[in-house]
Amino acid sequence: MALLSRVAERLYWGARYLERAEDASRVLQSFGDVLADYPGSGMQWSSLVAVAGAGGKDSIDVVASEESAVVQYLLADREHANSIAVSIERSRENLRTCREVMPREAWVAVNDLSLFVRGAAATSIDRRRRERLLTRVIDDSRRLDGVLQSAMTRDEAFEMWRLGRYIERADMTTRVLGVRAASLLALPAGATEEFAEVQWMGVLRSLSALQMYQRATRGPIIGSEVVRFLLFDHRFPRSVAGCLAEIRASTLRMPSHTTVLGTVESVDRALRRSRPAADDGVALDAAMDGVQLALGRLNDVMHEQYVVH
Amino acid sequence: MELLDQLGVDELRERQRMSDVEILTMGISFTIYSDGENIDRAWPFDVIPRLISGEEWERVANGLMQRLRALNMFIDDVYNEQRIIAAGIFPGELLDDATNFREECRGVHPKFGVWAHISGSDLVRAGDGQFYVLEDNLRVPSGVSYVLENRVVAKRAFPELFERHLIRPVDGYTDELNKLLMSLAPDGRRDPNLVVLTPGIFNSAYFEHSFLAQRMGAELVEGADLVVGDDECVYMKTVQGLERVDVIYRRIDDLFLDPEAFNPDSMLGVPGLMRAWKAGNVGIANAPGAGVADDKCVYAWVPDMVRYYLGEEPLIANVPTFRCMYDDERAYVLDNLDQLVLKPANESGGYGIVIGDRAAPDVLEAAAASIRSDPRNWVAQPILDLSTAPTLVADGIAPRHLDLRPFILTGEHSYVTAGGLTRVALKEGSLIVNSSQGGGSKDTWIVDLDDDFSARFTTPQTFQPLLGGHGQTQSQSQSQSQTQSQGQGQGHTQSQSQGPTQSQDQTQTGAEGDVADPEATG
Repeated sequence: MALLSRVAERLYWGARYLERAEDASRVLQSFGDVLADYPGSGMQWSSLVAVAGAGGKDSIDVVASEESAVVQYLLADREHANSIAVSIERSRENLRTCREVMPREAWVAVNDLSLFVRGAAATSIDRRRRERLLTRVIDDSRRLDGVLQSAMTRDEAFEMWRLGRYIERADMTTRVLGVRAASLLALPAGATEEFAEVQWMGVLRSLSALQMYQRATRGPIIGSEVVRFLLFDHRFPRSVAGCLAEIRASTLRMPSHTTVLGTVESVDRALRRSRPAADDGVALDAAMDGVQLALGRLNDVMHEQYVVH
Repeated sequence: MELLDQLGVDELRERQRMSDVEILTMGISFTIYSDGENIDRAWPFDVIPRLISGEEWERVANGLMQRLRALNMFIDDVYNEQRIIAAGIFPGELLDDATNFREECRGVHPKFGVWAHISGSDLVRAGDGQFYVLEDNLRVPSGVSYVLENRVVAKRAFPELFERHLIRPVDGYTDELNKLLMSLAPDGRRDPNLVVLTPGIFNSAYFEHSFLAQRMGAELVEGADLVVGDDECVYMKTVQGLERVDVIYRRIDDLFLDPEAFNPDSMLGVPGLMRAWKAGNVGIANAPGAGVADDKCVYAWVPDMVRYYLGEEPLIANVPTFRCMYDDERAYVLDNLDQLVLKPANESGGYGIVIGDRAAPDVLEAAAASIRSDPRNWVAQPILDLSTAPTLVADGIAPRHLDLRPFILTGEHSYVTAGGLTRVALKEGSLIVNSSQGGGSKDTWIVDLDDDFSARFTTPQTFQPLLGGHGQTQSQSQSQSQTQSQGQGQGHTQSQSQGPTQSQDQTQTGAEGDVADPEATG
């Protein structure tokens, strides 16, 4: 069964946007949780804007901004290209034109989610309602994965979907590390150990990684360990190494993949170069930029190989 | 109606609500274009089904298959020998200004001699209880996906009825379509590649294009996905490079198919497609040029085609049509202007149509003058009294006008859907059934009585007649729609109170894509 180049591209972006919405929801959720523990700590909601990326709109005053403004911007803002509402809408629009290559329930799941978010986003800014929406986004995104995992033929369409998912996920993990972890590593001396621990737990939670980190390390929550886990533990599917392993596996199942595979390896090299940066905030931020750039190149190479010809 | 009495309005409303939610969740939609924006709207569905007896449907289906065989022989003939013109039965000069005659198609011989593989004829049941063909949509008729989706929704709304009654399934259509399309592949191609060619996501019928591609496991392509090679074969651009295409189910109008042959500005088509088709390297359904027989004027000759090509009497009725080019028919028309619908042949979308019994005297005068000076361009038909069916509306259950679009497949064999798309005008007295203009739809149930089918089942007593008592079912079902149309002062009279835009002629002449709006406009 051949896969049209145009459809391949839309599947890929459908997957990326959905992953983006899911990951952003988790970041927002965990940040709110940490803040609830340390209301006066000086943690800035505006720091989240850097994780999500400005997405073509920088009208928000990130310094003075309060919780409601930042949440509105990240969750519901229709002008903000990376807001959760816009990501889900774009995912739906992309997948709407791929319905013939996916099991029907997959489309139903994303359509259902988009209907819900469309109706609820604007009124989900305050904490209680926000929680319901974010949970729904995360759950439905995973529901879609479940449908595809259990009911989709392992063809090129399936691989394009996976590639979109894992490239976006790897990108998001590096963003969280580059912004939040980097600033935590540079925490002022006065900060208590407990405060740091709670913060690092927040980082892990924002990547759905807390429990798996604890199982894998069987030790206390130490910043540099957390960074190493999230970058290099290839057994954990949200770590950058784990994402890269999946990207490599999917690439190998795609036709004429030599060039693409070469680019995957260059992302891997960029990742390995970041190893010494695990203890140093500034270096980590820079190293994460390097991985993001390599992922961007991978995106472009795939586009040339499978879409433009 | 037994069903309605048993359930009551409140229960029906509850089921309607459930169906509406289901349609939204399943993403059953149609697209309308408004204020420069494309809006994806939920498909309008009336939960109360429309019933037709199996016995009556057999006759209708046979009539439709016969009609399409004759129409296809006609199309093949006018692009080749033109025997029907030589025989003096069809006036050849009508082709001169027929907008859908394609000179580029002369001398082409598609497989099986079939041009209009998929058609969606619009039927109405008139005052005499009989079904009439209002028009034959031979180009890119749409709506069949909603037939299948309506059934999915109806099954969930009335599970108990589907358990107790023999309602013919509609699900087989896509399989039949798939077989037909595969049979159009160039000879000798093994495991042929089938694609559905869509104008794209912004088309009003995109949902259907996607639906059909899904159900047939075909690729849904846009013009830019295809390319014609130096070998005059068609290829699609895939992640593996170019791959040969053998059959195209195109949902784009002729004039946009190939900028080389037709409209040079078309961004939707594929340059060189006509060359590939004429060389026999790709099958196209419906064949370019098939629309020549889909024309208000040519329509009048369909009964003659049936007699000439098949030597049979037509099994399904044409609306009697007077051809003003003939002296005696013109004389009748001019004498009875106030009792006829006057239609200019080369206009579409309901333009220029005059309804005799409601037109102002000066309008009738002008039409008469035009008929005298250009008789070839005019036909006339009696004013039909359209049937109604009970429909759930704001005040309860009330009769509303409807039509029916069955889908007919013609290839090596013929096939007709069990029923078709019933469209219903939701406004009281209105005859506008188009979903883009507030029309709705109903599931259409072809119901077989246990008498007909009892031999097939071991416990026939579990099947209860849905249409009324045993033995007189059919007459009941007919009188049902009749009584109701009379009950509200006859459909036609009612519609007079509506403005001139909401007249019978719109139902009669709606362009063929008009489940939402014509799909071929690019």
